[in-house]
Amino acid sequence: MNDLPNRARSISSLRDFLELLEDSGQAITWSDPVMPEPGVRNIAVAASRDANGAPAIVFDNITGYPGKRLAVGVHGSWDNIALLLGRPKGTTIRELFFEIAGRWGDQEAQISYVPEAQAPVHECRLEQDINLYDILPVYRINEYDGGFYIGKASVASRDPLDPDNFGKQNVGIYRLQIQGPDSFTLMTIPAHDMGRQILAAEREKVPLKIAVMLGNHPGLAVFAATPIGYEESEYSYASAMMGAPIRLTKSGNGIDILADSEIVIEAELQLGERELEGPFGEFPGSYSGVRKAPIFKVTAVSHRRDPIFENIYIGRGWTEHDTLIGLHTSAPIYAQLRQSFPEVTAVNALYQHGLTGIISVKNRMAGFAKTVALRALSTPHGVMYLKNLIMVDADVDPFDLNQVMWALSTRTRADDVIVLPNMPAVPIDPSAVVPGKGHRLIIDATSYLPPDPVGEAHLVTPPTGDEIDALSKRIREMQLGALS
Amino acid sequence: MTTTVCGRCKSSGAVTDYQGRQDGAVVWTILRCATCNFSWRDSEPARAIDPAARSADFAVDAGDLQRYPKILQQ
Ligand SMILES: [Zn+2]
Repeated sequence: MNDLPNRARSISSLRDFLELLEDSGQAITWSDPVMPEPGVRNIAVAASRDANGAPAIVFDNITGYPGKRLAVGVHGSWDNIALLLGRPKGTTIRELFFEIAGRWGDQEAQISYVPEAQAPVHECRLEQDINLYDILPVYRINEYDGGFYIGKASVASRDPLDPDNFGKQNVGIYRLQIQGPDSFTLMTIPAHDMGRQILAAEREKVPLKIAVMLGNHPGLAVFAATPIGYEESEYSYASAMMGAPIRLTKSGNGIDILADSEIVIEAELQLGERELEGPFGEFPGSYSGVRKAPIFKVTAVSHRRDPIFENIYIGRGWTEHDTLIGLHTSAPIYAQLRQSFPEVTAVNALYQHGLTGIISVKNRMAGFAKTVALRALSTPHGVMYLKNLIMVDADVDPFDLNQVMWALSTRTRADDVIVLPNMPAVPIDPSAVVPGKGHRLIIDATSYLPPDPVGEAHLVTPPTGDEIDALSKRIREMQLGALS
Repeated sequence: MTTTVCGRCKSSGAVTDYQGRQDGAVVWTILRCATCNFSWRDSEPARAIDPAARSADFAVDAGDLQRYPKILQQ
């Protein structure tokens, strides 16, 4: 398929993307009867064992949910991410990383508006007697979750104190726990846009209305999950990064939403109220605690005819969460580091949202990599997330863990390790000293340079580069061809 | 038989939120504990919903709901 880049740019909805995935052997339909628990979880986990090639799975025969469809694993493999970016299956993670990093500031946003009456998302509309369980084929994602979670919701809201400002609209991914037929709790922290908006609405006693978009344009979840500047529109950013138009319309409660999403739940914050939420199996692979979280009441639901409910398996990795956010976690750190240090050649922050990161750098002088590591800790994502950093030379591919292990084995001295005690930490990091506070680790696995008296070893130099990459892919193709 | 005793905090008096049907017959029921908000489907494996089979690590103390912190305070 030579038209992959054009086809990727023509995607405007989840349905378009599922069609592209299916044409490429990257989506399957599960039509055997399956129980919501533990059947859906078991199948999603089994699929995510194959981080490179797992297909999206569309369930259409879940017991007790006749006629309803559920999609999981839409972003669940590097091959699916490659197709979204207009690249063929088998594209390496390193190539995908540079595909995303290269799109920075490259394109203009293309935003258009569709009248509500013509927006597919509004084909069916419910304004009373709403029961979310009657619309969404939910299931318990991990066995000790406190309830039924919507794990892949893009939540859109306007700033409650500046509701007419397009740029201050926020779109973010938050976990939602269904709390009865027409209510849900939303988990956030004060540092996130939604947390800030909830606090502002409650302080000023003004309404906060939100629109929860489910089954969205697949670019939105990739590019709207990582924080950007508060006054940048996530829609504009996602459109620019996809190099493709995004169609918006208005929700019934006046918020800009994607016109082609499968389902939109409109809701309003219950000011000052909190309900017990959690636990939820989170991305570090451990459960969050039980807390009292803000609660929203559903005011209306719009959906396409025969909607597809899209959800995610998240928990102890590797999971769809890692392929969904990994590259777009890595690329901003890379861009921010290169502003100060153009010697940085790649950043791999794929592991648990960057709790471990590997950075390759051209070592300017002895110890330079440690300086770069300290700069990484002060990037927006690094402040909370980059807990363990492994610094490698530019001749090591940080996306190839065999090469990283070689660098650790041959270029690390035990005193090339720095521990920074009692630093900020992600509250859900289970290794924290107390939630929100923990230690940082920097391992300098770069080679020795003057004035270090040891100097670099005389290295064996096996052939590398594009020619070897192409040969490696050809060998794999020949092997796959021999099988079929 | 559907029990309305919560598998997590052992309170009784859960409410029914939804019933799944297949060819007209009810195949499972979703319940919600009025005390701790635990929601469950009565068709789930016992280790997730049966108080006798559930791990105590995930119990909620219905007598001390104050201990659970409130997020987003002014
Ligand atoms: Zn309970």
